Amino acid sequence: MRDLEFFRNVSIGQYVDSGSPVHRMTPATKYLWLVALSAPAVASLGYAGALLPLLSALCAAVAAGVRPSFLLRGLKPILPLFLVVAVMQFIFGWPGDRSAVLFRLGPFSATAREAHIVLMAVARTVSLVVIVGLFTSTTTEGEAAHGIEDFLAPLARLGFPAHAFALAATTALRFIPIVAGELESIVKAQAARGADFGSGKGGVVAKARAYLPLFVPVMIRALERAEALAEAMEARCYTGRGRTRFVVYELQRGEWVARLAAVFLCVAIFVLDSAVSAPLAALLGVFA
Amino acid sequence: MASSSPVRKIVVAGALGAVSIALVLLNLGFITWFAGASITVLHVPVIIGAVLEGPVVGMAVGAIFGLTALVKAATAPQGPIDLFFVNPLISVLPRILLGLVAWAFFRVFMGRMRGLAATVAGVAGSVTHSILVLGALVLFGAIPLAVAASVFVANGIIEAVVAGVLTLAVVAAWKGIESRTGKARLADEG
Repeated sequence: MRDLEFFRNVSIGQYVDSGSPVHRMTPATKYLWLVALSAPAVASLGYAGALLPLLSALCAAVAAGVRPSFLLRGLKPILPLFLVVAVMQFIFGWPGDRSAVLFRLGPFSATAREAHIVLMAVARTVSLVVIVGLFTSTTTEGEAAHGIEDFLAPLARLGFPAHAFALAATTALRFIPIVAGELESIVKAQAARGADFGSGKGGVVAKARAYLPLFVPVMIRALERAEALAEAMEARCYTGRGRTRFVVYELQRGEWVARLAAVFLCVAIFVLDSAVSAPLAALLGVFA
Repeated sequence: MASSSPVRKIVVAGALGAVSIALVLLNLGFITWFAGASITVLHVPVIIGAVLEGPVVGMAVGAIFGLTALVKAATAPQGPIDLFFVNPLISVLPRILLGLVAWAFFRVFMGRMRGLAATVAGVAGSVTHSILVLGALVLFGAIPLAVAASVFVANGIIEAVVAGVLTLAVVAAWKGIESRTGKARLADEG
């Protein structure tokens, strides 16, 4: 029954309150940094573009009073698992792979292209883990949900429902404890009737059927609550237009500098990446 | 089934998003199979959102689900493949598209047989989800093509069937659709 205490374990991210200037910035600025660093980490061609965001994020973490070891901590138990990824690439070849063979073992061979794929995957993943970790350790859930409207404000002018999406996100956050509580009581009620989630015997179909009495009531209860909330909001003539907000984020000093710096850094990493990675890849014959 | 007020759409997106987040964070969205393999039903709230309230709600729930998976992958990963979900092109984009595709399938089959349409949306949405996520994983070098194909055959098909059943069950209960066993019981309560 230890696993049934859902309520206590619901938390997203890992907020660290150090009260640094970075923490005090508006969520929109933090979102901008998140996107500016994630974009090269995701879409870069080479190692420079994948690893420079990591370096920048670690520097930003120091400025935010978040220890880099705290951000890297989550990676430690996972590092051996990258081996699994490498072994999978080693065992299964890519169709049409003509790059240099690094070494052979029986019928399997490791090629330069496979090595490149694994290293890039590791570099991108480590970077993103640290970047997202930095964002969640400097931004509370509430800030993240409210701030998304400010961040998407430029898109709202083009007709994107930024306010609606932010409201949906805040609604979701408010509903989490309720849904978690309902899941808990339903699982307990089913367990009391002898239901077995997880470790039971029987085929996958039997288990899926056992899942129905958990899934359906939770969904229906959530929809009922949504219905009630929507009715309450409509009764109060909520339209979403011209809303004032309870929480207003004030621009800190130097915030525009931080925003421009994020854009500049993003562009610089992409430029550097394309300048460095193409000759390097040609040298390795990775794309040959 | 569409044409509800904007406020209702927003709130339903939030409520289904909350179910999604709770299932992700509490690790409840998995049905274990043999040998540690498990199939996921985490994407079903996205499909249900798309079926009940249209493509925008589906995509919003998909975005909330994807972002939660991303944050979880970065802060509390559970396995080697989990880790790759920190990449928004793997964790977020396929889930947003899932909302759109599930709604499109529902729309095509929505006529007199809403039950059938909901099932089709569940199955097709689930297949889309598997293809997009596995495709993105291959693209970013997390798993080789051969592994992705075998996972799709082994898991994707059963996931699709389960998603179809769950979507039908929830939509039928919520909308009071006549089913084989008579009217769904929960329909009278709402």
